[in-house]
Amino acid sequence: MVSAENLHKRYEDVLALRGISFEMKKGEVFGLLGPNGAGKTTTIEILVGLRQPDEGSVRVCGLDPARESNELKERIGAALQATVLPDKMTVEEALRLFASFYKHRVPTESLLETFGLMEKRHAHFDKLSGGQKQRLALALALVNDPELVLLDEPTVGLDAMLRRDIYALIERFKSEGRTVLLTTHYIEEAERLCDHVAIIDHGRVVAIGTPRELVDRSGRGTRLEVRLAKPVPAEKLKSLDAVIDSRESDGIYVLHAQPATQAIVGLIHFLEAENNALLDLHIAQPSLEDVFVEMTGRKLSE
Amino acid sequence: MMNVIRLSIMTIRLVMRTKVALFFTFLFPCIFLFVYGGIFGHGDPNAMAYMFGQVLTLNILGAGFFGLGLQAVMQRERGSLRRYRLAPVGSLTIVASNLLANYLIQIPVVGLLLVCAMGIFHMPFKLSFIPMIFVLLTIGIFAFAGYGLTIASVSNTMQEVQVYNNLAWFALVFLSGITIPLPALPHWIQTVATFLPATYLVTMFQAVMAQSEPVSAHLPELVTLVVSGFAGLFIAWKLFRWEKEERISTANKAWAFALLIPIFLMGLWMNVYANPSASWNKSYSRMIKQMSSVVSAANGTAGTTLEDFEGAAASQDISKTWQVPMEDVRPLAEITIIAPGANGSQHALRVSGRVPMPSQNQLPVQASDNFVIPTTVKTFSGIEFWIRSDDSREYRFTLLDENTKQGTAPEITLRPSSKWASIRIPAPTQAQGNASPPQPSHLKLFIAPLGQAGDFSVDIDEIKTY
Repeated sequence: MVSAENLHKRYEDVLALRGISFEMKKGEVFGLLGPNGAGKTTTIEILVGLRQPDEGSVRVCGLDPARESNELKERIGAALQATVLPDKMTVEEALRLFASFYKHRVPTESLLETFGLMEKRHAHFDKLSGGQKQRLALALALVNDPELVLLDEPTVGLDAMLRRDIYALIERFKSEGRTVLLTTHYIEEAERLCDHVAIIDHGRVVAIGTPRELVDRSGRGTRLEVRLAKPVPAEKLKSLDAVIDSRESDGIYVLHAQPATQAIVGLIHFLEAENNALLDLHIAQPSLEDVFVEMTGRKLSE
Repeated sequence: MMNVIRLSIMTIRLVMRTKVALFFTFLFPCIFLFVYGGIFGHGDPNAMAYMFGQVLTLNILGAGFFGLGLQAVMQRERGSLRRYRLAPVGSLTIVASNLLANYLIQIPVVGLLLVCAMGIFHMPFKLSFIPMIFVLLTIGIFAFAGYGLTIASVSNTMQEVQVYNNLAWFALVFLSGITIPLPALPHWIQTVATFLPATYLVTMFQAVMAQSEPVSAHLPELVTLVVSGFAGLFIAWKLFRWEKEERISTANKAWAFALLIPIFLMGLWMNVYANPSASWNKSYSRMIKQMSSVVSAANGTAGTTLEDFEGAAASQDISKTWQVPMEDVRPLAEITIIAPGANGSQHALRVSGRVPMPSQNQLPVQASDNFVIPTTVKTFSGIEFWIRSDDSREYRFTLLDENTKQGTAPEITLRPSSKWASIRIPAPTQAQGNASPPQPSHLKLFIAPLGQAGDFSVDIDEIKTY
């Protein structure tokens, strides 16, 4: 469905993409995961034909986005960051107007229903809340019943509840058999929604696979989150048996261990010897965040 | 094409929902109409006919620069173009839809202005004006849309476009005859004006509305504006940018100068082969003359200016030198402008009133007028003019030198017929036959009806020296 090969893009002094390559299959949800400035938006803009790469090639739905732009736009739907419409345009007018540009159209009533905008159909764009604007942006991406939906940070700036609403809509796209490409810097989003994830940093793909594969491949073991009665240097915890890595953040020590049981026993012995106490222990499988940290040496939020 | 129409309709709907846009689209032009008609034109219908073109041109300029041009940059800066870019909508569709919307909005605005001008200022208007106004409006909006969009396409920010727009706006508004009629401006400004596109539009409107000239008489100006419009839209299309991050290079900015080529060539042609000032003066003088007649008729007394009588010989035309004509018209007399005048001229002066008592040599009613002999007149023997009357009354005409109050002034007494006939009134003896007339030579023409009490009326036209 999408094939990107060795994409390079430079903006004056900034090298935004340094050889991005990935493949997307029909019917899957594919995530581009990375921090701000990693090159996600530039990649998606190249895929929809808004920008041309300086180097590399791209095919979307079997078409060249730069040369077959109009044919491609008939087959894809996109919601880029912060969709802006004229202030006085109503929700219904926007859906009808944008649908009118396409050969194949989804009935406006159906979109209003699906995206929970029926009550706001006569509301002006400037009167919509952030969540309603985002739902409208997603609805606009679907006015032509596209095969491929490209979403650039669809939940950025929304609170947790609104994010879950959007997740439900994206899951619905998937259940309808659409192919979805989304960019995000939320781990939770990628883990929950994506069949495949490409982790991007500094314009490069640093890892690609299913979320499970990435976590398994990381070799960082089980994640232990520990709260102690007295602070200790994180380096001391890292020296314990079976502990691969140790970090401290806001009084919580995050250890990666393999095997986990051996590390827990070692930790308890250490605390007894140090006359310290274990206040809290949380055991979890490693996340994409851990994978990202392993691959890049920093957290997604940094 | 359907996308252009859909987007245009949407743009018009959005304008109708925005109070500020409504104010500047509909109310603002009406304010200008009232300022021009009420303050500059003193509420005079004929002045309104002349100034209506100025108001329309001002409106077209505003729509082109501040409506269309500013809106284009605003859409780009705001990011609302981006959503259209994701749909199968090209840049030409966006440009064309903005242009069409701008045009469609202007039609009811012009209708509103017409209603106000005719209903409130009683502006004279013929049905035959409608197609000509339509042509001028269409071409004017098209041309200035080209200018506005070109400026928008070479501007990177709102601040930048406002600077360029204001520069263009003020130059055009003050140097093209939109605020001050061109004949009232110095000659060098009139020369500059021939290189400004708004000049052609405003003077064509004035020629149509004040002189009933056909637009076909201004084909070169029309073609220039059409070419400018196409050039402007082409540049706007080629330099169109969807995103505010896309900056225009200095080299591409130079494209804007291409838009000046047609108007520059037209300006050169005008200055070399045409005589635009004469054409501008014609409609301006007619407006002034027509205004005078109304003032005079309303007052029933003097205080009018009679400039530029039809058909006056150019070399000896003294009509422009008339000072405060008919200043001594007695209360029982009045002057008006009538049409048609002598020898196919469109207007003539009518002096009419009532003789209150039997008049012998007392001249109870007498009209007079001061005028100056222009320096271009090399020899001067007196003045001649065409005259007619229906009342079979004798009239006495006398020409006196107001400076010296000396010299013998021959009195001419005659009974004009109902057909136009030319008569000559000799100058006082000191001035007559001079190699060059005395400067300044303030002469006064006296017209006195003779005979029995009753109404009198005499028409005169084409006053010139001989």
